[in-house]
Amino acid sequence: MENVQKALERVLLQVQRPARYTGGELGSIVKDPSQVQVRFAFCFPDLYEVGMSHLGMKILYALQNAREDCWCERVFAPGPDLEGLMREHHIPLYGLESFDPIADFDIIGFTLQYEMSFTAILNMLDLAGLPVRSSQREALAPIVVAGGPCACNPEPLADFIDLFLLGEGEELNMDLIDLYKACKQEGVSKKEFLRRAAQIPGVYVPSLYEVTYHQDGTIQQVLPRDGAPAVVHKRIVKDLDKVFYPENFVVPFTEAVHDRAMVEVLRGCIRGCRFCQAGFIYRPFREKKPDTVDKNAHALCDHTGYDEVSLTSLSTSDFSGLEPLLEKMLTWTEPDGVSIALPSLRVDNFSKELMDRVAAVRKSSLTFAPEAGTQRMRDVINKNVTEEEVLRTCRTAFEGGYTNVKLYFMIGLPTETDEDVAGIIHLAQKVVEEFYHTPNRPKGRGVNVTVSVACFVPKPFTPFEFEPQDGIESLRRKQKILLETVKSKKISVKYHDSPTSFLEAALARGDRKMCAMIEHAWRQGSKLDGWSDYFSMERWEEAAQACGIDLGFYANRSRSYDEVMPWDHLDYGVSKAFLIRENQKAHSDAATPNCRQHCSGCGANHLLGGACFG
Amino acid sequence: MGDLLYQTAVRAFFRKEGRVKYISHLDLVRCVSRALKRSGLPVWHTLGFNPHIYTTFALPLALGYESRCESMDFRLVEDRPMEEVQERLNEVLPSGIQVYQAKPPKMKPESIAWADYDIVMEVDSLSGEGLLEKFQEWLSQPQLITMKRGKKGEKAIDLKPHLQVWNLQANPSQLRMTMRTAAGTTLNINPTLALDAFALQGGEKADWLSVTRTAILTKELEPFE
Ligand code: SF4
Repeated sequence: MENVQKALERVLLQVQRPARYTGGELGSIVKDPSQVQVRFAFCFPDLYEVGMSHLGMKILYALQNAREDCWCERVFAPGPDLEGLMREHHIPLYGLESFDPIADFDIIGFTLQYEMSFTAILNMLDLAGLPVRSSQREALAPIVVAGGPCACNPEPLADFIDLFLLGEGEELNMDLIDLYKACKQEGVSKKEFLRRAAQIPGVYVPSLYEVTYHQDGTIQQVLPRDGAPAVVHKRIVKDLDKVFYPENFVVPFTEAVHDRAMVEVLRGCIRGCRFCQAGFIYRPFREKKPDTVDKNAHALCDHTGYDEVSLTSLSTSDFSGLEPLLEKMLTWTEPDGVSIALPSLRVDNFSKELMDRVAAVRKSSLTFAPEAGTQRMRDVINKNVTEEEVLRTCRTAFEGGYTNVKLYFMIGLPTETDEDVAGIIHLAQKVVEEFYHTPNRPKGRGVNVTVSVACFVPKPFTPFEFEPQDGIESLRRKQKILLETVKSKKISVKYHDSPTSFLEAALARGDRKMCAMIEHAWRQGSKLDGWSDYFSMERWEEAAQACGIDLGFYANRSRSYDEVMPWDHLDYGVSKAFLIRENQKAHSDAATPNCRQHCSGCGANHLLGGACFG
Repeated sequence: MGDLLYQTAVRAFFRKEGRVKYISHLDLVRCVSRALKRSGLPVWHTLGFNPHIYTTFALPLALGYESRCESMDFRLVEDRPMEEVQERLNEVLPSGIQVYQAKPPKMKPESIAWADYDIVMEVDSLSGEGLLEKFQEWLSQPQLITMKRGKKGEKAIDLKPHLQVWNLQANPSQLRMTMRTAAGTTLNINPTLALDAFALQGGEKADWLSVTRTAILTKELEPFE
């Protein structure tokens, strides 16, 4: 057969933006295949422009390639135009660096960022020429692994992925590669490799666990086999000042969604917003020292030539060293013409001074996330922001020259009433009024308040994992309430589609019975479900029916506290007892202080072997 | 930096070979600006509210073509030896883009009149000989009329006076040739236009094609410098 590169040359000029498929970017790493023992295909189950914005992939790419014995390459889902041509011309899915088919690699690793990418994984395995089910891939190579936030409930993918990596990847991936290398040299079977891999802390091998069900479809028990641990604990990196951080990124030729330097300042979150999965699964809270972040950022900007650097984390304004960090960074960013972006500022500690310092370099639009419209509702979800704080922040923003404010909310939250829904618009209205009450507001300009409303999706490892998702009818009714409550042209409402949220809710809390449905949906054509152009709810409904799955059972059912969840044998640090306590507090409208104020005993400190603070 | 007047103009000649042929002209411009920034050279920025590195390209290359004779112009605010400029740029450019010479610009881009291309094509249903025969037949017509898209829609044009072909050779599966076409700001003919015309007028569409620009020439057929 012709090599992949030449086969591609025959078709690439027929596709949109071919540079997405040819690699060779600055910072991409090419090695001599005869000099490495492990070839790793890092797969992002979405398009290049999405995947290339992802920080985790950049870190693991650089880390694995820092090993002389390993060559890590990037692989993305092709757009529908190229996919059609690949299938027509029998071009297998390949690594961007070598153009070699990934079916010949040692390890294929997927990152699970969102549930809607599950079918893309099957599609990529198929494009690689591999059977999608792990039981049908008999050889040791390629081993198919997956990590990332959705690995916290990997059960809907249990039949496809050989093993999951729970928690932070830096140390875990190294352990896995070491074991694989030894097993390859020894010539052991895939079965034996998986048995040994299950002994690495943080590795979950689904085929070593047997799940039994009650008559009503809930889980009876999950039994480990072959010496696999009864509970798999996620891995974390204890000291972020010592953790590997890339000095260089692959700089795409064509524009990615976030095409800039990114430095991570902290992991975890002190807030404990009850709807937010990331806020729990990334615990405990750990920070880098300002010096470390400054060094990381400076090296990265020098090597990549980016003129924008973002300080990323779940909640960058909770970074205790933010002021000294900005001071340090401004000494070189200003002369170099580099702007600093703070993407996740919280409304309740957004000071004018901080805003000025960022605005001194570049002024961008202002976005806040009060998440709910009434104080009661915000107490239920533990979003500790008051109306007064929202308005005060907006006033500061208006005084600073801003006239566009974007507010993020959710509907369909537990215990929500129509009054809470209308409260979203009332809050937006108050922001509009605040603008006209601000004496030194920008003159001669009006204010625009965009209200962006998402449907709440209950997620595993949150206090709301027990909650039913609001039904589609109810969500549609609430969307109508929103529109009817708007009385001002200065407020515009945007909302996300409810069918997508419904499917996301079902998959997020799904179990192994869903594997067949996912495969069915994929075989019927689902493959880039995150893109509304390619998503079809009818196809999923048909797949659910064909496989005897009731999506409502997963999305809209309330769980009792003693129900065995599909993910209960995985430990992400926070205990179920804590989640139950938090759920009870939510139902009595009671807030929980943040971790800096008071430790609520979630259990994540055990991963550190001591207290989180002090 | 934006308030300084520039000292030297530089024309850097570079190759664009291998997989980077798939990066569009727009992406190339961005890639080169970033490289200039990383090079640490004292590059001149445009004046005004949003200063940026100033670059111009003499003759943009079509997507999918390789080249051994591209050039771009930029300015420095301090004099630097041209060898240093070349070296520093090559340290920071992605592989496949390589500067082989840097010197002060001698000619205006308007003086460009011709460009030479090496072409290799394969048609799955034809041997190299078969393809050669068909191509020669097409080429020997007294006129080579085809439609060319311009600013004001499509227009018929005779390619004959704007195109010369030599070095026609066949090997078992391929046809090779060198093609010289009119180039520049007034009339720019890409070899693809000629090959498309061939495909429509009794020839075949290439299943695989490689086009490499080998020279950019003035009216007097001197290399553009
Ligand atoms: S152990 Fe306490 S301080 Fe640490 S994350 Fe849990 S609640 Fe917060």
